[in-house]
Amino acid sequence: MNDVLLLDFLMTLLLLFVPGLPLLLAFPALHSRLPWFRYLALLPAVIAVAIPEAHSVELPWLLFGSELGIENSSRLLLAMSVFLWFWVMVLLPAARDRSEGRPEDKYSTVFFLLAMTGNFGAILAMDLVAFFVFSTLLGYSFYGLLVSGRKNKARRAGRVYLVLLILADLLLFEVLLITVLTTENLEFAAVHQSMAQSDSLTLYLALVVFAFAARAGIWPLHFWLPLAYRSTRPAVALLLGIPVVIGLLGIVRWLPLGEISSPELGLIIFGSGLVAMLFAIFAGLKMAQLKMLPAYAAILVTGLFFTAVGAGLADPVIWSHYGRFAYVFIASLGSGLAVLVFAISWLQVRRDYPARSAGYADDSNQWVERWSGLVVVWAGNTGFDTLPRWRVWWLAKMRHLWLLIRIWQRQMGVYERSLQRWGLAITLFLLLAITITFVMASAGLSSSI
Amino acid sequence: MNWDTWLPLLIVLSSLLVALVIFVLPEDRSKTRTTLNLGGAALKIVLVGIMVWGVFNGHHYETRLPLLPGLDLVLRADALSMLFVALSAGLWMLTTVYAVGYLEDSPHRSRFFGFFSLCVTATVGVALAGNLITFLLFYELLTLATYPLIVHRGTEAARKAGRTYLIYTLAGGALLLLATIWLYTLTGTLEFTARGFLSTLDSSHHPVLVIIFVLLITGLGVKAAIFPLHGWLPQAMVAPAPVSALLHAVAVVKAGAFGIIRVVYDVFGIEFSASLGVTLPLAIVAAVTIIYASMRALFQDDLKRRLAFSTVSQVSYIILGIAIVGPMATIGGMVHLVHQGVMKITLFFCAGNLAETLGIHKISEMNGVGRRMPWTMAAFTIGAFGMIGAPPLAGFISKWYLGLGALEAGQDWVIFVLAGSSLLNAGYFLPILYVSWFKEPAGSWPAERCFGRYETALALLAPPVITAILALTLGLLASAPFSPLEWARFITTLEYAP
Repeated sequence: MNDVLLLDFLMTLLLLFVPGLPLLLAFPALHSRLPWFRYLALLPAVIAVAIPEAHSVELPWLLFGSELGIENSSRLLLAMSVFLWFWVMVLLPAARDRSEGRPEDKYSTVFFLLAMTGNFGAILAMDLVAFFVFSTLLGYSFYGLLVSGRKNKARRAGRVYLVLLILADLLLFEVLLITVLTTENLEFAAVHQSMAQSDSLTLYLALVVFAFAARAGIWPLHFWLPLAYRSTRPAVALLLGIPVVIGLLGIVRWLPLGEISSPELGLIIFGSGLVAMLFAIFAGLKMAQLKMLPAYAAILVTGLFFTAVGAGLADPVIWSHYGRFAYVFIASLGSGLAVLVFAISWLQVRRDYPARSAGYADDSNQWVERWSGLVVVWAGNTGFDTLPRWRVWWLAKMRHLWLLIRIWQRQMGVYERSLQRWGLAITLFLLLAITITFVMASAGLSSSI
Repeated sequence: MNWDTWLPLLIVLSSLLVALVIFVLPEDRSKTRTTLNLGGAALKIVLVGIMVWGVFNGHHYETRLPLLPGLDLVLRADALSMLFVALSAGLWMLTTVYAVGYLEDSPHRSRFFGFFSLCVTATVGVALAGNLITFLLFYELLTLATYPLIVHRGTEAARKAGRTYLIYTLAGGALLLLATIWLYTLTGTLEFTARGFLSTLDSSHHPVLVIIFVLLITGLGVKAAIFPLHGWLPQAMVAPAPVSALLHAVAVVKAGAFGIIRVVYDVFGIEFSASLGVTLPLAIVAAVTIIYASMRALFQDDLKRRLAFSTVSQVSYIILGIAIVGPMATIGGMVHLVHQGVMKITLFFCAGNLAETLGIHKISEMNGVGRRMPWTMAAFTIGAFGMIGAPPLAGFISKWYLGLGALEAGQDWVIFVLAGSSLLNAGYFLPILYVSWFKEPAGSWPAERCFGRYETALALLAPPVITAILALTLGLLASAPFSPLEWARFITTLEYAP
């Protein structure tokens, strides 16, 4: 009995620490004194992912009474988030440094940890208010991350994101008020039940979809996504999938999908999802920079998600069939976008590297030649043979080889752009194929029902 | 007389005696003055704490002293008065600490702190007043005690602002006096009574009662800075920062808003007010004030003027909550009395810090100030987000209940007012945060002073940090026992109980 109580207590503590520790560490006075503080902030979330135990904790003193909990779906999303944050920390040298000098880096650290708090808290939230609070924290922290890069384009992206965020917050606030008038219990399950019988159902659905579409950057409220991917730093670009993921999670958590039928709204959402996919394909093909590809991929995939939500709203049976895959889909989207960003960054680094390394090699080559030449001259003057014949032959071969590499690299540079275009076309073709398959499968499923 | 009859008087005397002693203290006795100020503030907090506990447990505290034939000076503790008294006592302590740091080495400190304590005495008297005549006396004392604080700097602008303040508030006071006398001749009593004392009057008096209501609200609306009676408040920004904090968060505008609550609930009664048809026009006036002042705030470059217009807007939330008529909206209005005070005092403390430390008075001078004064700007950020109504800060709780109250009362239009106000709040607060945190400093600051180890003097830094933490805590722990929200629920239960 005591063991059960102890386990319960430890799990409660763990759940509180998942968003609580990054929040605590966000205080500069605390994190500036701790080594590896970013990894430390992730630790409770890692443990929560590793323990296959469903648990929830009620916090009656928090706001109007809140609840946090973890079960299989939230564990999957938490695992994805942990993976992303960890990846950012490992891959980016700036994220590893404990004492950055520039003020914007210090702010970035605070926003980084606050965004982590918002992300983890929103995933664990079991009621509307807790989700709203954590996702709002994520939103404003992300704004900070976007604009702390001090580029004008990033600031523009931040401004657009902020406007949409404020609008979304206002709409969600109205949603919360409508909900409280219908039910006092704001847990997701209770809200689904109550709203299913409410007169304000259509308004509720429309406001929720619109607000989270703005937060997730779903077409036609996608403006901030391409701007952000184009202008932001690689560290932030890797994390840009997180607000998108939390936006989609909001739609799944807040809407009583599979429990109600709203054919008209469902059709509108389904249609806008299809248009979003077409838009993403055409806009993606016309895009000027490769680093914007994840933005259009996100618009395409969130459009696909919208078609699923629309179909689910039109016919709850459809959602009950494939709705359980929604969390896997959302988690895959988060990781997929990060992988795409990473791949593009890697491609760009590879593209830039030969030129830079060739430059370094030229310098070092000249340096070696100059000093080795001096040594040979000095040796000749003093009568020593410092460079035996076989070494001379080896050096000549190396030089020849180096020249060949440089010619090859230049050729690669010439073809790089066309290669990128092919890569983009193949990616978009694959995504289109997935979309068509999905739509056909949905149509087949609904006709069989 | 026993403890229950002494306690209200002791709470008033705890700052009044301090004020009288400080007036006669020589200018160079700064340690004695500070000890007296802080000692008085600490004593008041202890006494108020005892009283809050007593009121919660059903104790009846009342001091009654004969004033005029048939009229007594009554100090009485009830749930509503406790909300205002606790706010004044708590924030007075912090404002005193701040003022000590702010006015270090400046002249006329005895005069300043004397009137400062007198101001708080008047505020506590307003809060504890058990009838309209006692309320009126302390209300006018507040006017007279605040005037020397506004003109403290003695500049031409300060004197002009003081004159404007005096004209507005004395005119308002005259209207209030007229309405009080008229009411007394009609009813023969001025005692604040739960659910009012006018509903039993014959219906032939109703038109007259409407006129009296308008006179009372106009008189009180001057201090509450309702549109178009708000003109004195932005001008009064020439006063030193602790005075601005006192005007906006603790004393003057709050006394006006609190007076309106008293009139609506304990003179007319909320149901009777609604039946007279005066609550909807009051709600409309409050809504117009909220939007108008927010729009005016958008275009102010002077930081304190922007904050002043923000106060005009935010105080009307309290009036809107009352005028909507319904338990939820009442909770929203009541709790905002405290929440607005805590958030706004944070912002004014921060504005004072920027002015005292770097010589910054304008928003256009604030580029990159977050790097130079991170603690101050962090506190400002929390206060600003609270004003916008972002969760989980105190302002979010107020707006939540105001919105719920509006929907509950079937006044959906209020939702658009709240949404519009939030947008405008974001419009005038977020650019300040943006330039402070993300823009490069323009160069040297207008008039930088060095305070050693911290970004500014500790006495200036600690109060805004504490109030910012409070603004966060009041939101996060809104449902904790004895929180302002729980206390507002307690008041509303008493007011709306069947």
